[in-house]
Amino acid sequence: MEEKTSIKIKIEEALFDSIKRATTIVPLEIEMALSNLLKEEDSEIAVVQLNLMLENFKYGAAKEIPICQDTGVLNFFIDLGNEFPIMSNFKSIIEKAVLKATKTIPLRSNSVDPITNENPENNLGFNVPPIYLNIIENSSVLKITVLPKGGGAENVSRLFMLNPSNGLEKFQDIIIDVIKEAGGMPCPPIILGIGLGGDATLSMVLAKKALLRPFNQRHARKDIAKIEIELLDKINQLNIGVMGLGGKITCLDVRIEIAMRHPASFPVGLIVQCYSHRYASFEINEKGEIYNEI
Amino acid sequence: MRKVKYITRYDLNLPVQEEEIKNLKISDIIYLNGVLITARDQAHKRIMEYIKNNKVLPESFQRLKGSAIYHCGPIIKELNQKYEIISGGPTTSERMLSENEIVKFLGIRFIIGKGGMTNLNTKENMVVYLSFTGGCGAIVNQKIEKITRVEWIDLGKCEAVWFLKVKEFGPLIVAQANGRSLYKK
Repeated sequence: MEEKTSIKIKIEEALFDSIKRATTIVPLEIEMALSNLLKEEDSEIAVVQLNLMLENFKYGAAKEIPICQDTGVLNFFIDLGNEFPIMSNFKSIIEKAVLKATKTIPLRSNSVDPITNENPENNLGFNVPPIYLNIIENSSVLKITVLPKGGGAENVSRLFMLNPSNGLEKFQDIIIDVIKEAGGMPCPPIILGIGLGGDATLSMVLAKKALLRPFNQRHARKDIAKIEIELLDKINQLNIGVMGLGGKITCLDVRIEIAMRHPASFPVGLIVQCYSHRYASFEINEKGEIYNEI
Repeated sequence: MRKVKYITRYDLNLPVQEEEIKNLKISDIIYLNGVLITARDQAHKRIMEYIKNNKVLPESFQRLKGSAIYHCGPIIKELNQKYEIISGGPTTSERMLSENEIVKFLGIRFIIGKGGMTNLNTKENMVVYLSFTGGCGAIVNQKIEKITRVEWIDLGKCEAVWFLKVKEFGPLIVAQANGRSLYKK
């Protein structure tokens, strides 16, 4: 019993720590991607902005303050080993960590009642934060990833229920139209998560999970990897550029996940992420040892 | 940090006169000094309610002639009833309603935000749209000298109207001016 309580406290602390890292530090791969872009870019307007973005990353990390004021909706992805000692209470542990993070980092409260517009200023309330639970068999490890998802990029996300007869042919053009129409709104250069197949819900969840894939890591299946590269190239010909003000690069990466679809449906889930793609995670084993913090 | 060669930088003090902004061209870069306000979705709705119903806006709004509206919902830290802006980058401007009417009514000369505003009439209203780079919230902490006032805190800290005294607030890119636009849409 005592052991379980101490593991719970450790999870809560590690969660708080992950929320802090996910809002104040950008992963190295993102910083590198923007630094590389800075060398290649011809547009001076893009250069001025890339300079500022990199300076802002440094400033936020040094001062331990959120690099973007939109600390987003905090999405939690739990990979729970079925042999991990704690199988419940995750919601309340997460809520405690969110409350502490909101008050002390501090975070902006992004939970607003859709009917009354009330904001409890704690990032909690009906059905938030979103938690995605995945049970891992034959494992005694718990892994939790925090993904703060800002409003600007999320507003460009879409679900399309296409016709299976031509869905595969059409979906790239449909996504390109969305990105073109959105221009600078999702804070380009963006990253796209796409879920092909499944049903409406599953395609969106896959699209969101695709965002957690490491940078420039293509899908294991070659036919899917090829589509990822094709779509990335096409979007980068739009000349939307950094913040929609023109330039070479509009999209940093495209990641597609698939699921078997219903014969009558061709769902396409699109989740758009801004250049400031922040996330953090930790793993804890059955002994309460924390490792693999990213 | 990579240096740029061809862009012109202007340092301007708020409030500005019409003559100071009429020659600004898209792609110029501006740094602002002085007092501006933040306003996002709910503040825009409320200002418009006042204007439509001929209600008198708080006195502090009467002194915004020649100033700037910044589309921003900051993170505010409150300590012993003193407020501090922790992080305050721009939000998407396209969502804000009735901006032309508000600009005209208050005599605003700059709109600061991200992503641009399709319907902003920069020519007729002599207003310039300045793009501040999205996501750059932390660095703003460095550019704010102080919060001079807050109105409509009942809207919540994120949606309230914050009066900010800024110093060298920029780089702000002239993205829409005199009917022209830098957006590729």
